[in-house]
Amino acid sequence: MSEGLQLERATDGTLHRVETVGLYLFPCVAMENSDGSEQIGSEQSHVQRRQQVGRLEREEAFFQFVNNLSEEDYRLMRDNNLFGTPGEISEEELLSRLQQVKETSDSEPRHEESGGQEEQEDGYNGDSILDLLNSVRRTGNTTRSGHRGNQSWRAARTEEGEQGAEEPARPHAPVEPEGHEADREMSMETSEVEEVAVVMVPEPEPLRPETPPVISPIRATGGQEAVAQSRTGLGFAPREAAPRSIWTDWTGCPGLAGHAPAGTGGRQLQDSAERPGQAECRGARSPVGRVGAGARRHPAAGGGGPQAADRRLPTITLDLQVRRVRPGEHRQRDSIASRTRSHSQVPSDTVQYESERAGFRRTFSRSERAGIRTYVSTIRIPIRRMADTGLSEATSVALQTVIRQIMTGFGELSSLMDSDSSDSSDSSQGPNLPADATEAPQNPATAATAATGGGPNPEVARTEERSRGTADSREGRAGLRRPVSLEEPGTLPFLRLAHFFLLNDEDEDQPRGLTKEQIDNLSTRSFGGGDALKTCSVCITEYAEGHKLRKLPCSHEYHVHCIDRWLSENSTCPICRRAVLAPTNRESVV
Amino acid sequence: MQKNTRLKRELQMLSTEPPPGISCWQCEGQIDDLRAQIIGCVNTPYEGGLFSVEIKVPERYPFEPPKMRFLTPIYHPNIDNAGRICLDALKLPPKGAWKPSLNISTVLSSIRVLMAEPNPDDPLMADISSEYKYNKQIYLEKAKRWTEKHAIQRNKGLEETEEGTSEGKLGKTKPACRKREALSAEGHQDDSKKACL
Repeated sequence: MSEGLQLERATDGTLHRVETVGLYLFPCVAMENSDGSEQIGSEQSHVQRRQQVGRLEREEAFFQFVNNLSEEDYRLMRDNNLFGTPGEISEEELLSRLQQVKETSDSEPRHEESGGQEEQEDGYNGDSILDLLNSVRRTGNTTRSGHRGNQSWRAARTEEGEQGAEEPARPHAPVEPEGHEADREMSMETSEVEEVAVVMVPEPEPLRPETPPVISPIRATGGQEAVAQSRTGLGFAPREAAPRSIWTDWTGCPGLAGHAPAGTGGRQLQDSAERPGQAECRGARSPVGRVGAGARRHPAAGGGGPQAADRRLPTITLDLQVRRVRPGEHRQRDSIASRTRSHSQVPSDTVQYESERAGFRRTFSRSERAGIRTYVSTIRIPIRRMADTGLSEATSVALQTVIRQIMTGFGELSSLMDSDSSDSSDSSQGPNLPADATEAPQNPATAATAATGGGPNPEVARTEERSRGTADSREGRAGLRRPVSLEEPGTLPFLRLAHFFLLNDEDEDQPRGLTKEQIDNLSTRSFGGGDALKTCSVCITEYAEGHKLRKLPCSHEYHVHCIDRWLSENSTCPICRRAVLAPTNRESVV
Repeated sequence: MQKNTRLKRELQMLSTEPPPGISCWQCEGQIDDLRAQIIGCVNTPYEGGLFSVEIKVPERYPFEPPKMRFLTPIYHPNIDNAGRICLDALKLPPKGAWKPSLNISTVLSSIRVLMAEPNPDDPLMADISSEYKYNKQIYLEKAKRWTEKHAIQRNKGLEETEEGTSEGKLGKTKPACRKREALSAEGHQDDSKKACL
């Protein structure tokens, strides 16, 4: 393939350096180059040309790579959002990612065995977390994966209700992060959240050894204990007020504004610097089984009255998210997740995250990423939940609060997504976001830690993140869906949240996307040389030999990687809008 | 995913075979920040006007619709004071009708059609909409006045600022510039009133 392409180019003469670029790209390049050369200085055009050529090379490599992937590998990578943007990711990177994913999945076969269906669902969530986030943020839609996540969430919730009644406040004992089952964790987590709302008695008991400390920083500090206590002791009474109070607080603390979690922590710090200490005293023994960001914050809240409750609510929410996230990722990935967590515990890890952000694309392969993703997924869940729940329930208020908090915490993420660097593609953004999310939860913890006397490093990291987030958020939030740009860093998270909700309310109808299974059931083929020239209407690129195409029931064809992405969020053909699935199965969309 | 590749192709197509009455170019070298100009259709109150449209291409394009907004004030039932456009193709399904097989060119064309054929049943500006429905003469006059005031005058100002930036670019703006010159020659008025934005 590359050979033929080279020849072509040489004939053309416009591109000297192109080697592996696909033919289909060629005309475009040539045109641009000629345009540029006419009007722009030769230097500039040279640079541009070089960049374009490089990009085209990578694009071609990308397509080749995708086309050469086996079905399984393709799915694996797609589901994990490992395909970056064509032209921005080198083949080597893709390869390394693929290998990494494979390793990951291989390393935890036991989960698969035991996991069964559940596993699938979880994996599902984890896989499309990025997609979900994106879709949630922009569309308010729940992706298929989101859908599932939602369902499971609800189920968990129900369980919670029961559990909560049975065992009111249970502080988590400090448990080893490893060895938990995702499912369990999920339900546990959820239940925990509920518990928080319900339970009034602060008894620090090690009920959940299974829950791994997602965010390790807490552990180090006495804050952990405090967290557990706070959880138990939290009353819901102030919940309603909580959001507002939080808001205010946030505004008040510009420094913390960066992330919700951080903000919470910061708030606590601000409000009562001593609180952490108080919490510790009380709940000194409660172990930090769960490392939820919320838990960390709680320490402060534990002792407090209504204020504390307010804080707690947010905290709780965070915990849920975090936990949720983990399960969502994959049981298979559990090991990764745990690794990530453990890493996060160490201050140095935080640093790692940051660096990741800076060069998210490349760092994607790192284990931390997986953890990050998980976090992201968590976010989603709350949102849906919110939509579903409505305000009527007593819990719903709490939930809302929680959600808000979560959102706040992850507000940064959304901002990052929006304001991403010009080059980064969506997929590349995804990793970034997750990283941020991870950080966010961590940060709060860090803050708590710091308050309690934790290491200084985390603090620094937080600060950096904050500043970054603020900048990002300020940048371009023109779109309706995007969070409003705030001048005050402190207010940012909240505003974003509000926006978020508004947006979600607008179009949170139903998950419209197809599930992976549904997508995979659609037929595929390879574009053959004998076929007439056709163009994928998603990327406006002509098919080349060997390209993998997917054919929808309406006979329209697209690149596999093009249509899969669309179908993950929509269920209609991009050309004729015909529903891809039979209407019986899912409500037809438009 | 294919955002950049696709955008390049679209820009290519826009420059080689622009849809009637529409020109579109990159804004200051940013591939996801485009500007377009729409010439008001003949026999509409927007005739003779040049309407600038800001186009922001989201990261997830083409899986998400481009964001378009009128920079030039326009008196139209489906376009609000901030320039936001009520058009199904600019929204994702199920509420909207965006699909990846649409592109910037087609969306701009449908905006131009929308200008000529307002949809008062899906109003963004309720008062203008009812005016359009029940008092069309007044609507026509007002729309025409707005066009004269903003769409024709503004061109002068725009020309100066935009020409500097667009000149250096890919020459795709040239036709637009010429049009603008012609138009501004017709409507020789001061550009003192471009405060509308």
